[in-house]
Amino acid sequence: MKRIDMEFDLVVIGGGTGGPMAAVKAKEKNPKLRVLLIDKANVKRSGAISMGMDGLNNAVIPGHATPEQYVKEITIANDGIVDQEAVMAYAANSFDMINELDRWGVKFEKDETGDYAVRKVHHLGSYVLPMPEGHHMKKILYRQLKKARVEVTNRVVVTRVLTGASGEVVAVMGFDCRTADVYVIKTRAAVISTGAAGRIGLPASGYLMGTYENPTNCGDGHAMAYHAGADLANLECFQINPLIKDYNGPACAYVTGPFGGFTANSKGERFIECDYWSGQMMMEFHNELEGGNGPVFLKLDHLAEETIQEIETILHTNERPSRGRFHEKRGNDYRSQMVEMHISEIGFCSGHSASGIHVNALGETSVAGLYAAGDCASVPHNYMLGAFVYGRLCGENAAAYCAEHGQGAVDAGDVAAEEARILAPLGRTDGLTPFQIEYKTRRLVNDYLQPPKITRKYEIALRRFDEIREDAEAMFAGNPHELMRAMEAHSILDCAEMAARASMFRTESRWGLYHYYVDHPERDDDNWFCHSLLSKGADGAMQMRKKAVEPYIVAIDDEERSAYQRLRVARSAEAA
Amino acid sequence: MTIAATPTQVPVNVDNDKCIAEKGCTVCVDVCPLDVLAIDMLTKKAFMKFDECWYCLPCETDCPTGAVSVSIPYLLR
Amino acid sequence: MDIQNFSISERLGSLDAEVRRLAVIDLPYGDEEDIVSLLLPRLADEDAAVRTEAVRALEGYEELEVVSALAPMLLDADDGVRAAVGVVLSELKGSECAPPLLPFLRGHTAEVRTLALRAIRALRVPEAFEPAMEALKDADAGVRREAVGVLGYLRMPQAIGALAEVAALDADADVRRIAIGAIGYSSEQSVLPALTRGLADNAWMVRDEAAQTLGKLRLGLAIPELVRAMQDEYWQVRVKAARSLGLLKAVVALPALIDALAHPIGNLRKEAAIALGEIADPRAIPALEGALEDSDPDVRKLSRLALTAITLAQK
Ligand SMILES: Cc1cc2nc3c(=O)[nH]c(=O)nc-3n(C[C@H](O)[C@H](O)[C@H](O)COP(=O)(O)OP(=O)(O)OC[C@H]3O[C@@H](n4cnc5c(N)ncnc54)[C@H](O)[C@@H]3O)c2cc1C
Ligand code: SF4
Ligand code: SF4
Repeated sequence: MKRIDMEFDLVVIGGGTGGPMAAVKAKEKNPKLRVLLIDKANVKRSGAISMGMDGLNNAVIPGHATPEQYVKEITIANDGIVDQEAVMAYAANSFDMINELDRWGVKFEKDETGDYAVRKVHHLGSYVLPMPEGHHMKKILYRQLKKARVEVTNRVVVTRVLTGASGEVVAVMGFDCRTADVYVIKTRAAVISTGAAGRIGLPASGYLMGTYENPTNCGDGHAMAYHAGADLANLECFQINPLIKDYNGPACAYVTGPFGGFTANSKGERFIECDYWSGQMMMEFHNELEGGNGPVFLKLDHLAEETIQEIETILHTNERPSRGRFHEKRGNDYRSQMVEMHISEIGFCSGHSASGIHVNALGETSVAGLYAAGDCASVPHNYMLGAFVYGRLCGENAAAYCAEHGQGAVDAGDVAAEEARILAPLGRTDGLTPFQIEYKTRRLVNDYLQPPKITRKYEIALRRFDEIREDAEAMFAGNPHELMRAMEAHSILDCAEMAARASMFRTESRWGLYHYYVDHPERDDDNWFCHSLLSKGADGAMQMRKKAVEPYIVAIDDEERSAYQRLRVARSAEAA
Repeated sequence: MTIAATPTQVPVNVDNDKCIAEKGCTVCVDVCPLDVLAIDMLTKKAFMKFDECWYCLPCETDCPTGAVSVSIPYLLR
Repeated sequence: MDIQNFSISERLGSLDAEVRRLAVIDLPYGDEEDIVSLLLPRLADEDAAVRTEAVRALEGYEELEVVSALAPMLLDADDGVRAAVGVVLSELKGSECAPPLLPFLRGHTAEVRTLALRAIRALRVPEAFEPAMEALKDADAGVRREAVGVLGYLRMPQAIGALAEVAALDADADVRRIAIGAIGYSSEQSVLPALTRGLADNAWMVRDEAAQTLGKLRLGLAIPELVRAMQDEYWQVRVKAARSLGLLKAVVALPALIDALAHPIGNLRKEAAIALGEIADPRAIPALEGALEDSDPDVRKLSRLALTAITLAQK
């Protein structure tokens, strides 16, 4: 174990989707900037898009949708709690980003005349742009990193962002998961793009890595932002996904929907009213599962053979290519059977939902010099294209920040403390294993935090998390790989506690199943039409506060609101 | 207290006859996001060292000799 | 000494072809700055697997020297190399990459012509027009498909007649389907006969494409044929026809669309409801109100939306 000291102007943490874009764009803005891209895996194949993507879920393409229309839809899908300016920053830059990716070699579906073949999934605008051959994304990004001369360091797990005298970013620390060398990297600015916190709950299979999200994304970024003093927004708005039962791969309404596939109950009937992947949709899903009409299935068996072949080619080659193998073992054939689906464990992910490290329309967090992009940041429903757009915004704005700020002094005591914290599990010869700590935390998350949320259960969870925290102090790692799992277990615990505290703060119900709080079952706009922010208090404990929703820049008139409202909550309206 | 070595059947299999790690290949080890593959120092062949697989397949897709095969982990199957 | 300790350049010069191949695979991810000049010599490697890998590693490099080195490899003796070259060339985007490709659009084997036409499509260079027009008559269906693609991307008015002919007469259904789609850049009336004939093609995928393209081009003169397509034996075609009739705001389609609200396939009922909302004619109100009781929630929802749209339109 060595200590490795480095110095850069900008460190980008996480080289999945948003991260490489941030690094490239920072270099394009200022080629002299010393930019480091650092990943706990290998940027060649890391992150959510490691094997490519099925398509863009939220492409705002002229002629098919407008940025204003998109902002409206996202506002309503999130029950009004959005920073519209931040959503607009995405929407307004979405088309340019698609064109740039197209030029870089990313393949989007086009019709026979070369126009983008946008598909309609939502009913007001059309946003889905398939990528039938989307499997080379990472190769393309790597080429751009090389062209822009970004330095890349793989297999280094970042654990903390250190701050200086006035709370600004001064360094990033981490360790090599193969050698346990400790890295101390001085820097003026940092972008966190570590993806979702997708390893908080336990998949029903019990297999720790059987998650929907890439399991590298365990909430490290959320934890490091928290410890650096940043605000995290709306964490009680969980991510819960409709997935293939046990396989935990996406059920892909976005892919199969345009071909005529849909989610059905055990009678083979469609039951979902809300077609936006949202808490409302998950509530309908949950009700159907629990209400005696379950199980729930993906129905394709009514489609023509040619269509099914096309769907199979897409679903079994991109994104989650092991899906075909899974179906084969189970004897599932889309032609003759519906495929069983289920609801996932909880996580934080703004890509699909709306919670994360708080950022504004410039990608800035509440810590000077710290930026966040992608699934870990708070811009709702951003998906892959949002990670790219915000990667770009963060890279460019961080480069501008570096032009005006020097390197702050790094406190030697902070460095020593973090080094000791990182290396502690390796120094022990005995103790609980990271597996045990992680498994127990995630099992308790399922038992107590999975919605419907109940105060009494949440209180028990918090008590049990405290116990595990104490136990975790005696964690033992036999090698650098286990050390990685040990440090991840700390992040997972932090995120579990954040999920609990944020949920108990918002004493109302909102966002469908994501924050269905049984003790406070009604939506309460009078008191809770606001963001919730979580941060580290002066006493070192988690503290919560409210933040007013930023003034809307796209007004939503009553007629539209009621049109959407009729779309979303029709059943209760009908019942009333 | 002591630490147990509990055996488990791993989902990734490497065909030693096809693996050419001894010629400088580390492709599967490089691409695995969870860093669970390694080259055995004695046999000079790749193998799965930790049962922590996301069944995402870059190891299999990128292997230049088709030596890797991934099955779905038993708990999910 | 372990092979990994040698530099990539040293490994590229190894006598063992497998070692060279692995070095090529590692190259794009290593520290070497000038990847291209290290890779170009490997395009002439005696080992086909090394050549294939070198071709793949050059994907995305649009420098003329790269394209000029790759294009002649469409004639490589090895199947795998040729296929890899085809894929990599098809990724090109800049029109400046075209000249090295032009000699391969004619002559040679059908495979070479197919790959070269595919590669030149996205470059949209006028020099591809003549060879593509010629290739419409190629004996090989694969070549004809790619030729149609090139002309669709070029969007030149002179190609309409020829594309219309292919759409009507080509022996291969897939070529006809692509030709129908490729015509979708011109909303001149001259394309109408080809598209309406497409609606009567005996392959349903062709009819499907025709129904969709008529909507994309907003060709109102085709409304009667689209209404007839609402009786197609394939519900998939009816869905596309309904979509296009909605886009065309075709009032005469009301009865057909109202009928479709009772079709057993939910997807079609759904599309009919959307179209009725777009047409926004109050005569659809009773049928849509009936659909509020549909067993499919999507149909109910879209019927509610359609009714809202009709109310708004009347204001
Ligand atoms: C299975 C699946 C299917 C999806 N399908 C679609 C789709 O079809 N369309 C769509 O638009 N979106 C889709 N999404 C969403 C989309 O992929 C994500 O929103 C987007 O890729 C997120 O990008 P990101 O940069 O935030 O995270 P990622 O790309 O996941 O990158 C995070 C990176 O951070 C690294 N990292 C994590 N912790 C650390 C640490 N401590 N130190 C160093 N590095 C670290 C990880 O190794 C990883 O490389 C899908 C997501 C998944 C998981
Ligand atoms: S990628 Fe294939 S050949 Fe290379 S080390 Fe792994 S198993 Fe062996
Ligand atoms: S399938 Fe994915 S997680 Fe499993 S060993 Fe291969 S690369 Fe690693």
